[in-house]
Amino acid sequence: MCAIAAPDVFGSDEIGNAKVLITGEIPAALHAKVRRAESNCPERAITIIE
Amino acid sequence: MTDTQKPVKDMTTDYDIFDPEFIKNPYPGYTEIRESQCPIAHTERYEGSWLPTRYDDVVAIAQEYETFTSRQILVMPPAAGRSEGPYAAVGAPPITSDPPDHHWHRRLILPVFAPQAVAQYEPGTRDLCNALIDEFIDKGIADAASDYAQHIPVRVISKMLGVPLTMEDEFTDWVRGALENITDSERRMKSFRSIVEYFIGEVQSRAANPRENDFITELMNTEVEGKKVPIEYVLGVCNLMLVAGIDTTWSAIGSCMWHLAQHPEHRKQLRENPDLWPTAVEELIRVYAPVTMARIVDHDIEFQGCPMKAGDRVLMAFPAANRDPRQFENPDEVILDRQNNRHVAFGSGIHRCAGSNLARLEVRVALQTWLARIPEFELIDPSSVTWAGGQVHGPRKCMVKF
Repeated sequence: MCAIAAPDVFGSDEIGNAKVLITGEIPAALHAKVRRAESNCPERAITIIE
Repeated sequence: MTDTQKPVKDMTTDYDIFDPEFIKNPYPGYTEIRESQCPIAHTERYEGSWLPTRYDDVVAIAQEYETFTSRQILVMPPAAGRSEGPYAAVGAPPITSDPPDHHWHRRLILPVFAPQAVAQYEPGTRDLCNALIDEFIDKGIADAASDYAQHIPVRVISKMLGVPLTMEDEFTDWVRGALENITDSERRMKSFRSIVEYFIGEVQSRAANPRENDFITELMNTEVEGKKVPIEYVLGVCNLMLVAGIDTTWSAIGSCMWHLAQHPEHRKQLRENPDLWPTAVEELIRVYAPVTMARIVDHDIEFQGCPMKAGDRVLMAFPAANRDPRQFENPDEVILDRQNNRHVAFGSGIHRCAGSNLARLEVRVALQTWLARIPEFELIDPSSVTWAGGQVHGPRKCMVKF
């Protein structure tokens, strides 16, 4: 789900598990998308640190 | 009298997931249980089962895979003879696997279903949807379930498996036998045998003539700890691709079509605002979650006050959890831009649907393609729509006019 909501930030590794693609701070332009990835993750696997 | 013919006395102590009214519209029954003093219902029918209906309970059970095992995953006991004979060891890994084997069973198939991997199927899916619409667009009427939805996942999966599209009718019949008409245990066993025997033939032909870029050939050649995977695993994954990949997604597409036929405002929103698609697909899948899976209790345990015994069956009512007002505001309402949507239509935890990205793609492309060519349509007669239910819920006849 995260890879659909915020494809610039989330993708999958070689075995198909979700992973974060970028390091450091999330650019402001992507904040809304990342929030949507967080609020739609059924596994509650995403934590946003502000 | 069989279990399905007795009238239901009380949903919390005597529910019947194959009751004809419940199959048609299970949501009032789920709500009745969820909002009662007894949100985990129990029935003696079909050798007994528990039915958790609240979101938190369903998620907790899904996460506790050591207590709630996947030794059996159907909502009814196995068909007679299923655990005997040469095919007894063929399951549907990783759905039917428990740790430790579950780990490699799942790991080997996940990459095939990653978002970037399934994206390659989008153009082909769009083409096949257009070809289906070509067949009926001039008639002004169509069965959105049996002329459209039903044909989409089976063709996508056949393509993925590298088997001929001419098998469509057989695959459809076998999958219905395995998942829909499961109170007929003879048909269920026959369907399972047909699936395994068909794929034994496919495996043998590839053993003689390996193919390039071929799902089954690659699966056969996969090694785990230096050894080729057992043939039962290869056959099991092929079985999984059919039973988990066809009826489920076809049901979801069918329910979405049924919904859109009755909601011009949603058709309009989707036509005018294509950015809605990602949230809209999630929302429709939440509201019309097609699948209910089962777990088998490993050891005696009291769960939320319910005395569950080793061997008991627990039905993971994902459709009920997805409409729990404790988790979703206005849960029965379709809100195409819903922002908080941690739905469990694809399950949760280690058995979370491996094919969810493919399913999402198929649902989105099926709806987009239809709406592009048939922007306005409606049900001909709402009362003539027929449904499958139990393990998989979705319309089977759904006539629309345009």
